[in-house]
Amino acid sequence: MRIDSVQSFLAEFEGWLEGLGIPRRRPDQVGVGDFSVAVFDDQTPEEERAAVDRGRAWEGTKYDAGWGAVDWPSRFGGRGLPSAFAAALRTAEQDWELPRRNELFAVTQHMIAPTVRDWGTDEQVERFVRGLLRTDIMACQLFSEPEAGSDLAAVRTRAVRDGRHWVLSGQKVWSSMAACAQYGEAICRSDPDAPRHTGLTAFLVPLDLPGVTIRPIRQMTGGASFNEVFLDEVRVPDTLRLGPEGGGWQVALTTLSAERSDSGSLGAGTVDKLLALARHRGLSSSALVDEIVQLWIHDRVLALNNQRTVAETQAGQAAGAQGSLGKLAATMNMRRTSDVITALLGDELIADTGEWGTFAWTEQVLGAPGYRIAGGSDEIQRTIIAERVLGMPRG
Amino acid sequence: MADLVESAEQAELRATLRRLFGGPSACLARPEPDGDSYYDEKLWGVLAGEIGLCGLSLPERYGGSGYTRADRAAALHEMGRCLLPSPFLASAVLAAETLLATGDEDLLTGILPGLAAGTTLAAVAYQETPGGDGRPVRAVRDGTGWLLTGSRSFVLDGSQADLLLVPAGTESGSALFAVDAAAARGLSRRPMRTLDPSRRQARLDFAATPGRLAGAVGAGAHAVREGLAHATIALAAEQVGGAERCLEEAVEYAGMRRQFGRPIGSFQAIKHKCADLLILVESARSAARYAASVSSGPGTDEDLYSAAALAGAYCSTAYFTVAAENIQIHGGIGFTWEHHAHLYFRRAKASEVMFGTPAEHRAVLARHLGLPAGPAPGR
Repeated sequence: MRIDSVQSFLAEFEGWLEGLGIPRRRPDQVGVGDFSVAVFDDQTPEEERAAVDRGRAWEGTKYDAGWGAVDWPSRFGGRGLPSAFAAALRTAEQDWELPRRNELFAVTQHMIAPTVRDWGTDEQVERFVRGLLRTDIMACQLFSEPEAGSDLAAVRTRAVRDGRHWVLSGQKVWSSMAACAQYGEAICRSDPDAPRHTGLTAFLVPLDLPGVTIRPIRQMTGGASFNEVFLDEVRVPDTLRLGPEGGGWQVALTTLSAERSDSGSLGAGTVDKLLALARHRGLSSSALVDEIVQLWIHDRVLALNNQRTVAETQAGQAAGAQGSLGKLAATMNMRRTSDVITALLGDELIADTGEWGTFAWTEQVLGAPGYRIAGGSDEIQRTIIAERVLGMPRG
Repeated sequence: MADLVESAEQAELRATLRRLFGGPSACLARPEPDGDSYYDEKLWGVLAGEIGLCGLSLPERYGGSGYTRADRAAALHEMGRCLLPSPFLASAVLAAETLLATGDEDLLTGILPGLAAGTTLAAVAYQETPGGDGRPVRAVRDGTGWLLTGSRSFVLDGSQADLLLVPAGTESGSALFAVDAAAARGLSRRPMRTLDPSRRQARLDFAATPGRLAGAVGAGAHAVREGLAHATIALAAEQVGGAERCLEEAVEYAGMRRQFGRPIGSFQAIKHKCADLLILVESARSAARYAASVSSGPGTDEDLYSAAALAGAYCSTAYFTVAAENIQIHGGIGFTWEHHAHLYFRRAKASEVMFGTPAEHRAVLARHLGLPAGPAPGR
């Protein structure tokens, strides 16, 4: 099949959705249907599992019809299209009543699948990549530790070789949705005597192995999508080592760089909901109108930035660390959104009147600070931008 | 989808111009301080004649070379980087686009080739003289022609232009008039002091000055609005060039200047400021390229006006922020007359206001978004 342009590609995709009888979303329609601007899903473990199952069923349908991993080569079930097509498809999906893709989908498909592709052995690529893309296998990160947050290279979870196995012991933290994942990409210290960046090794840890304990962490939003993951002498076969022994830092960087590229679209669609609310309610002050327009400008410019990054990467022009720019710009916009919705709703943000689509904005306001920390804090992103893009001297 | 990627030809044009212009000091040192002209006429001859910059995006049938406005934006980016003093923005962009928008075939055939060659300079006198010190321009019929009376201010390159385009009220609505400045009687032109020394603005007073109708009576405001939209988009490209240059200089200085025994650029306070500035520069680049792409395409007036407002609002604010923080990072040396940081600051501030303040651009966007726009804040 020849695809001439993103437009005709999207038209075909939307035709397929229509053929399946999936209704279009009406973001301008106020007062109807589910309303969520949650940054993190605040769900009970049962709700979380059910949401993941719905998402996986949809991802499977999409993948089997050739709409799943369109920017991957055909041997992974894709179409070998430029990443701009995949990005456009994800944007278009937001206009349809489809299962909400929570964080675990992005982690599995956009972060861990490419990491396995880049670092895995032939057997690992064969065994995992299609499954990750189709979400038959869900995978989370096992990166941060209580003493290794921004300073990720300080991880202390030990990996000790024992014949054809490794024995993993330590504590991981902030692992999003680990309870719904089958595997975790763990960065562990395999050589405590080596310089800290070279003594690390990565593994794909099956989370049902003996010695793995997953405990939810309740977040300030009220939900508990993050987890602590305890590894107590977990025996992992060497066939699940990802990348070379001592190469864990490079493997982690691959995943983190994919995370940052993926995060420019954080909060996408939220500003449209705010605009719909503003139009519906009417606005009393021109100062408030101006605040909303400023927010819309930031949102629009961020989308153009992301679009440009994708197009430039395609044309072989990309500068490094674009992902950090996108992530930082996205989290700044989440905070701006919180500020504007505060001005727009006033009292209705702090006490629930029961009116549709008002108090639910508390989920956005409470969730936004989390993304300014997750995936590398705003401050870490700024340092990365200054040192790696602008070439400023290291401190 | 808008084309946000720079083409190889655009990159090549920019490289050529960067070599030709040199740095800001070279650009600003050229004009004779006491001469009539504030810009380098020899360089203008090269730009307009040899390189054909003025006619770059004008239609071939009017003496242009038929490239896109996005190509022209690439050239403006370089002019903005070095603060090039030149009549390009006033004549080759604002006046040429305003004329094009009239669709007046006679005038286009007669005037545009001169603008495209850079041998005729034109200016658009569209802003009222504030206060009670001048009346809006009115036009009355005089036999087959028209006579213009009233006052205009802030006219970019108004003192020098050979041709003035003047929107004026008539009994049947606004109309655009072309005034031959050299031959005109009853025309007085007074240069205004400007914040930005690399730009010239003037007050013009008309007293029964003969003008020639351009386009239809009633269509004057539309032609000016379209010309201003293109000028705003062109200015956005300049603003990105200037902002980019300021950030480069800030980063370079922060890497060189040592305090407390280390380069100040190794302190997080400076690094994080520069990272934030890079987001502004890159975002402004995306906004400006998007608007240039829209202005090169076949879109509607609404597409053009909203793209211009988006680029105008974002790039103006971004440039001024970067120019101001550049001075902050340079410290005391950045506040001196000798250092050129203040010239960027002046240009950024002047550009922020010219063709519409950010708040005015945002008021346009509020209407575009269907938000009930009250009076634009700030004005």
